Amino acid sequence: MNTRYEQALNCQQPDRVPFLPAIYEHKAWFVGKTPSDVCRDPKLLTAALLAEYERVKPDALTIGVDIYNVEAEAVGCKVTYYDEGNNSVPSIGHEGAILQGSDDVTSLRLPDPRMDGRMPLFIEAAKAMVKILGKEIPLRGAVSGPFSLAAHLAGPQKLFLLTMMQPGIVKELLGFAAEVIKLYGNAFIEAGCGVVMFDSFASSDLLPPEMYRELVLPPTRGIVDHFHQKGARNIPLIIGGNTTSLLEAYLGTGANNILCDVKADPQEFLKRCSAMKKAFRRNLDSALFLESSPADIKNRAMRSLEESNSYPGYILGTGVLAYGTPLTHIAAVREAIDEYERAPAAGQ
Amino acid sequence: MKELQDLALYLEQGQAQKVIALTEQLLAASISPQRILNDGLIAGMAAVGEKMRNGDMYLPEVLQSAGAMQASLKILKPHLAREGAQSRGRVLMGTVKGDMHDIGKNLVGIMLQGAGFEIVDLGVNIPPEKFVEAIKTHQPSIVALSAMLTTTMLNMKSTIDSVRLAGLSSYVKIIIGGAPVNQGYADQIGADGYARDAVLAVDKVKQLLGISA
Repeated sequence: MNTRYEQALNCQQPDRVPFLPAIYEHKAWFVGKTPSDVCRDPKLLTAALLAEYERVKPDALTIGVDIYNVEAEAVGCKVTYYDEGNNSVPSIGHEGAILQGSDDVTSLRLPDPRMDGRMPLFIEAAKAMVKILGKEIPLRGAVSGPFSLAAHLAGPQKLFLLTMMQPGIVKELLGFAAEVIKLYGNAFIEAGCGVVMFDSFASSDLLPPEMYRELVLPPTRGIVDHFHQKGARNIPLIIGGNTTSLLEAYLGTGANNILCDVKADPQEFLKRCSAMKKAFRRNLDSALFLESSPADIKNRAMRSLEESNSYPGYILGTGVLAYGTPLTHIAAVREAIDEYERAPAAGQ
Repeated sequence: MKELQDLALYLEQGQAQKVIALTEQLLAASISPQRILNDGLIAGMAAVGEKMRNGDMYLPEVLQSAGAMQASLKILKPHLAREGAQSRGRVLMGTVKGDMHDIGKNLVGIMLQGAGFEIVDLGVNIPPEKFVEAIKTHQPSIVALSAMLTTTMLNMKSTIDSVRLAGLSSYVKIIIGGAPVNQGYADQIGADGYARDAVLAVDKVKQLLGISA
């Protein structure tokens, strides 16, 4: 079993820095299909995950393609898919949001992960992956965070306005979203996977940190506690953008692996995470993978690794990689990791 | 004039009812609608932009101010038309093909409108040929392209290429923005400008059009 990721999460220094590239829609490219094809077919999804594992060799795999859509669709939102070879990413436009014309949270029905939307499809792929790779590599089912799910249910612009004008409705909606996420996450855990939660709509690039603390932190902490009780040891929480000002609340969620995205301050993350013995993933800019040569990518990765100060809880990752990102560009990061020589951690 | 300063302040605070009442009061007092727009609404949104730039204001508050601005503009528009008032320029905007995200684009539209520009918003998932057609129809000075995904940002290039192929690139300036793009990418695909956020988008549009303030 590859234990690098788990060791980093426990702040025990692994043999090398774990590498977690953000590959979601790009999975489809490995099997010559589009994201819309792969996210609607459990066999194609399983094949894409296996191809990702063989060709990229990440230190953990994420079972997810269009990661913010699945729970919202199961509740009743309309996802736009693309056909005829169009490699765009399926998504929910504001007219697809189930609460676009209503504020009645009580009208929403909790989904059943065994039968609603594409939840069963992702759980089926998770079960297949557990059978094939469960003993080789950590597998994590992707779930939405509560604010991002609420943003899809209401439409983002409406949700942001409601936070100012009717915070009571937002609290109610976040409570509903948390229950949906728990149900979906439970299904992944029962399938033998871990979970990884994504909540970038709650980024402090958009939502004031004090609003995050008041509205989003309580349900998020509830979800993390719930998954712990269900037996998931590690709960990564991914919030993109510059979350430096959110760091205290971010760490307060109880997640043991947080994201230091491109715009965030890695030194502040290093200071705060090492004090609390929490792991963080530092992202390389996804645009770098489209506009730079492998040599430049490797140099940039090496600079990031040098910033890590040999912190054992440091993980190197990427922003979401575009469909069709060349393998040589991803491999350049692995080369940097393999060549990077860390100082031994204190006490080891 | 104190009432215009109050209008700007209420707008900044997102107090829609007070903004509506004061707009009507100022019109009834025969204050020029252009002056109400410039010294009340545009001044208020400039303050909003400054607070955003400094990290003192976030999206929810900006949307609230934008709602107040829209309400006031709805009252002002017929008066502005009668007065023959000119906007500072027309901006055509849209999220590129395959991308349904609109909040960043909408925010840029709000800030540009708040700075006195006329906005033609094509919406989301806009293919290159629709941008070309809309440039011919609306004759904007600026085209603003948005993308929020690394996969769809590639469609910014195909849009710019289509505008060039249609022979329209000397008539419009094209700016890009969105989470995955940067100045390097803008240079690479031949965009005339890049803005990291909505406030800087206003600065960039003014710069490209040679507007000093």
